[in-house]
Amino acid sequence: MTESPDLPEDEQELLEAFARLAPEGSAEWNFENSMRRLSTPAERPTWVGPWSGLPADLWERGRATKASERVMGDVIKVVAQDLTDYTQQAVDELRRFVPEASAVDAAIRSLAARVERLERTADPLGIRPTEFDLPATDAREWARAVPAWLDGGSGLPVVVGELSDRSVLDALADAGVVVEGVDPRGAVFWAAEEAAAAQPDAHRAQFTLRDVVDHLDGLASSSRSGVVLSGCIDRASLAEKLALVDAALAALTPGGTLVLLVADQQAWDAAIDLVSRDLLPGRPFHPDTWAVVLAHRGMADVEVHRAAQGSVHAIVTRKGS
Amino acid sequence: MEAGAPGSAVGGSHRPGIHLFVPMLHRRDAVGEHTRVLRDQLLAAGIPSRIYIDMPDPETADETRPYREYERDAVPGDVLVYQVATRSDMVGWLEHRPERLVLNYHSITPARFFAPWHDGIARAQEAAIEELSGLATRAVLGIGVSEFDAGELRAAGCPSTLVVPVANVGLPLVPPDPAAVAALKGRAVGRGPWWLSVGRLAPNKAHQDTIAALFVARSTTSPGAHLTIVGSAPEPHYGAALRRYVADLGLTGAVEFVSGISAGELAARYAGADVLVMLSEHEGFGVPLVEAMAHGLPVVAYDAGAVAEVVGEAGVLLQSKTPRLVSGEVDRLLNDPGRRMALVEAGRARLAALGLERAGSDLVAVLEKVAASGTSAATP
Repeated sequence: MTESPDLPEDEQELLEAFARLAPEGSAEWNFENSMRRLSTPAERPTWVGPWSGLPADLWERGRATKASERVMGDVIKVVAQDLTDYTQQAVDELRRFVPEASAVDAAIRSLAARVERLERTADPLGIRPTEFDLPATDAREWARAVPAWLDGGSGLPVVVGELSDRSVLDALADAGVVVEGVDPRGAVFWAAEEAAAAQPDAHRAQFTLRDVVDHLDGLASSSRSGVVLSGCIDRASLAEKLALVDAALAALTPGGTLVLLVADQQAWDAAIDLVSRDLLPGRPFHPDTWAVVLAHRGMADVEVHRAAQGSVHAIVTRKGS
Repeated sequence: MEAGAPGSAVGGSHRPGIHLFVPMLHRRDAVGEHTRVLRDQLLAAGIPSRIYIDMPDPETADETRPYREYERDAVPGDVLVYQVATRSDMVGWLEHRPERLVLNYHSITPARFFAPWHDGIARAQEAAIEELSGLATRAVLGIGVSEFDAGELRAAGCPSTLVVPVANVGLPLVPPDPAAVAALKGRAVGRGPWWLSVGRLAPNKAHQDTIAALFVARSTTSPGAHLTIVGSAPEPHYGAALRRYVADLGLTGAVEFVSGISAGELAARYAGADVLVMLSEHEGFGVPLVEAMAHGLPVVAYDAGAVAEVVGEAGVLLQSKTPRLVSGEVDRLLNDPGRRMALVEAGRARLAALGLERAGSDLVAVLEKVAASGTSAATP
């Protein structure tokens, strides 16, 4: 990176704009820089910044989140590396006594190569699905119905993830339900927080910037009266869809309600560009498919509410007592 | 089956040979092609030669063997040539082989370039440098593809070094693909100067500096300037950041990323472009510099690594590469036809002076000397 204290401010900013795109430090590399970015308030916004119209420090907030993810990732990597080294040492010791141990060595190498291939398969481009420009789920048709389906909850919070157009979240909050809004997209998250800050205290939504499945996985079992899923449930792969549903069901209290707001397949195909359609890991399931999947998950009563006005269907099911 | 492949007449010889060890053998890869050319030239000289690898590539599997199989193939008097570019498990094994070892060094990109982008590659590069230190003192000879690389070999502890350029630079030239030329001409109509940058999307190549300079050029003297970056990405993050940077700067229509093209398609780009801009910060040789000179394309390059050594007086060498400076130098060059022609002529002369067409046979001669003498062939 070309940097010079004598460089005119506009050129310096031009170069810094690229430096900010690096994934940044890690436990092993540039750790001090990583920590500086985590602990230092926002630097001045760049004149080539792409976030016009959003909070000036949004970029830095996003960077801090990314850096912290990176640090955690590296902790895991270091532990994994230590384990690998230890295993290799054990194999080396074994080989001193048993010549056939080279077969074990070969198996480990083969396994390592398979893991590497698997990692490439899982994240071949390094693009997170949330980085695609996808339309927000228009859930307005169901905003009034969802509080009724949840029946006011049982005093336990309701998780809404992702936030889509916030209509469902607002309706639940207006109905006096304790709502947790979850969304991994910084822009959506900060916009929701700003909107909530302008609401009276009665609007009881809280927000978390995180992948929905991670948030659900972190919840105590049977601790939520309802879970409303949209957006993430559409673009996820089959395995990720099932992980989302399983995590939601685990978090629900007996009798709790799971609502899936899913995009109509034709509307989805028409709304997103070809590149996103090709590269996203998944596409929305047909409501009938969801009925089959949920029945397979042991849900006895599955209601399918097809879109009458919009392009979003609602699937409602309740966890058995 | 190719000559030298497992089971071929020469490959199965019991005469001493000069065998090549490379972590992976890829086609369309500088080290891979160099290794294959060297193997072919050794075989053409009647010297048994096989390529041994650590990790197989399905595309070249029929011409390689796992390195541990050499234990079965070994013949007293063999010389082993290790192609150094990345880390490899075979290094520890090579260190303990009794045969004479020659290092053919292709430069190891320092870990610091990858550190902000990809920990795995950064760790691998650091490990490669550590491995080089271990092997360098054990080798009878280190061959760098440039004096810059030979210097790195000496710094690693190699007692004897010499320089022989890469053996795979495309000479004679591959002609431009006619269909690509026609398509590129059609696209160039009405546009401004065409900048070309060739090199992997790796952080040491510093493509972002070329993009920043293009941004300045389009904002000031050359609104129609556009850039093609040709190169594949060894890891996803840096390439994604480059694309994001291009989008953030509003250059989406002005910067094109291209990879996986044929030699003819690449030649079409060299033939059609107005200038090669290379702002790399670590270059062990710089094949695109040679290709540009061969295609009569003037070069503007940052003076790092072996760049000055390869370009000589035949290009605009920059001691700094701030965006305005690069933009200004490119602008001045493109608006001075006399200077441009002089550089193109100087490039052709420089190319002749480099003697790349002899590189393969020179390398074979050096290795034959090592094999015959049983000692180093170089002057320390």
